[in-house]
Amino acid sequence: MLKLEGIHVYYEESRAVSDVSISIKEGEFVTIIGANGAGKTTIMKAIMGLIKVKEGKIYFEDTDLTNKPPWVRAEMGIGYIPEGRRVFPDLTVIENLKVGAYTIKSKQVLKQNLERVFSLFPRLRERGKQLARTMSGGEQQMLAIGRAIMLNPKLLLIDEISMGLMPILVNTAFASIKKMHKEGITILLVEQNAKKALAIADRGYVLETGHIVLEDSANILKQKDEIRKAYLGG
Amino acid sequence: MLLQQIINGIVVGSVYSLTAMGVTLIYSILRILDIACAGAYALGAYVGLFSYVATGNLLLSFLIGMIAMGVWGIFVQKFFYLPLLGKSPLISLVTSIGLFILLGDFIRLWAGPLIRDFPTDLKLPFSGIRTENLTIMPVWILVLLTTAILLFILWYLITKTKIGLAWRATAQDLETAKAMGINVNVVVAFNFFLGYSFAAAAGIMIGIMYNYIFPTMGDVPAYKMLAIIVLGGLGNPVGAVVAAMLIGLIETLVGGYIGFFLPRDSIAFIVVIIMLLIKPQGLFVRKNI
Repeated sequence: MLKLEGIHVYYEESRAVSDVSISIKEGEFVTIIGANGAGKTTIMKAIMGLIKVKEGKIYFEDTDLTNKPPWVRAEMGIGYIPEGRRVFPDLTVIENLKVGAYTIKSKQVLKQNLERVFSLFPRLRERGKQLARTMSGGEQQMLAIGRAIMLNPKLLLIDEISMGLMPILVNTAFASIKKMHKEGITILLVEQNAKKALAIADRGYVLETGHIVLEDSANILKQKDEIRKAYLGG
Repeated sequence: MLLQQIINGIVVGSVYSLTAMGVTLIYSILRILDIACAGAYALGAYVGLFSYVATGNLLLSFLIGMIAMGVWGIFVQKFFYLPLLGKSPLISLVTSIGLFILLGDFIRLWAGPLIRDFPTDLKLPFSGIRTENLTIMPVWILVLLTTAILLFILWYLITKTKIGLAWRATAQDLETAKAMGINVNVVVAFNFFLGYSFAAAAGIMIGIMYNYIFPTMGDVPAYKMLAIIVLGGLGNPVGAVVAAMLIGLIETLVGGYIGFFLPRDSIAFIVVIIMLLIKPQGLFVRKNI
């Protein structure tokens, strides 16, 4: 479904990601783990089209995305939950969700999707008219997730769902991702919390300083000594 | 006397608010200061004047001037500002100053360097008010009405329509807006179209009010609108309107009552200097747009 072929990304002069190849099949749940600054967010932005890829190609359902603007990628069915949530602070909850469904033309579908988000997160319905900036971190995370699924994505890119959340909310967030995966959305999750990520993913890539150093099923990665030492706390 | 001064101030403030709106809208999306918007003010006045001379229809002249400048705005953002996006804002600022000078010289080449008279025999569908203590010229009513209509249209577009929602999202977080499927190129083009056409409307109204236009008529507004948008809190449309009215009122009241040993155009900058000393973030912090 998604295929990255040897992509290189540079910030100014320095290389952030080099020769990264990743492929995700439909219905899979894939995670990329790695330390802070390993280049995880960069890969997500490259897939979404928010930064330019210097070399390599990105394919989504056999379409070459490499030179397509982000809004076209969104319209093709790639949902995105950015690092740090990035909800629109001065829009209401409902307006935020409507922005998530911006590419959807049919009022009917929009309404359906809104209902789906509200049934997943009833709290968002209660807060409908509230400005996003006035909500707690956990509620903003719900909103970021809800906003991303408003366009009925085929593939969902999730950048650090656990960042800045209390442990109990982290569990809730992971539970809701799992639920969306069950509903048939293909998921690529980038996560510093490797333990949690490997616990729910099918397959994982390990990223170190811009390179993929390992790739395997999540169960096998969990057992490897070097992964346990470096990412799972021994 | 006081009422008269207040009315004068609001009329002046109305023109200021339309002039400053373009810069405000552009700043709120791209975070650049677009001095060249004042070029649309001057050139728009010329296009409006020539259209009026040719057609004799005031409404049509407004539309032609506004649309012409709006299209120019779309052209400017596409070929000058978008390629510079992500570079230092200073580069865009210098570019905008260059464009502004270019437009001024274009006017000189096209229409000549001399002052041009705006027709004084405008047929307005309403008459003014003239009593012993109070004069309201028909032109002022035109200015107030036009400003009110344009600001209403802007408010409606931004708060009630889909493109307005996209505009607000883009102003708050450009990158995320893109990722959500908003074609920000369209939003930015729409933004420039509105901003430049508003500036053109302001230029035409100034021409009608004072009965003449000249190639450098955009110079003072270019700097004064900077004072206004700083006062209003950068990038806040409501703040810009309030600040424009305030500057218009202060100029008229100070000029009318105290007289002033400095030129009238300096008042806006004195107000801004005081403002920066007391509340540097502007009257309104950017929010709820």
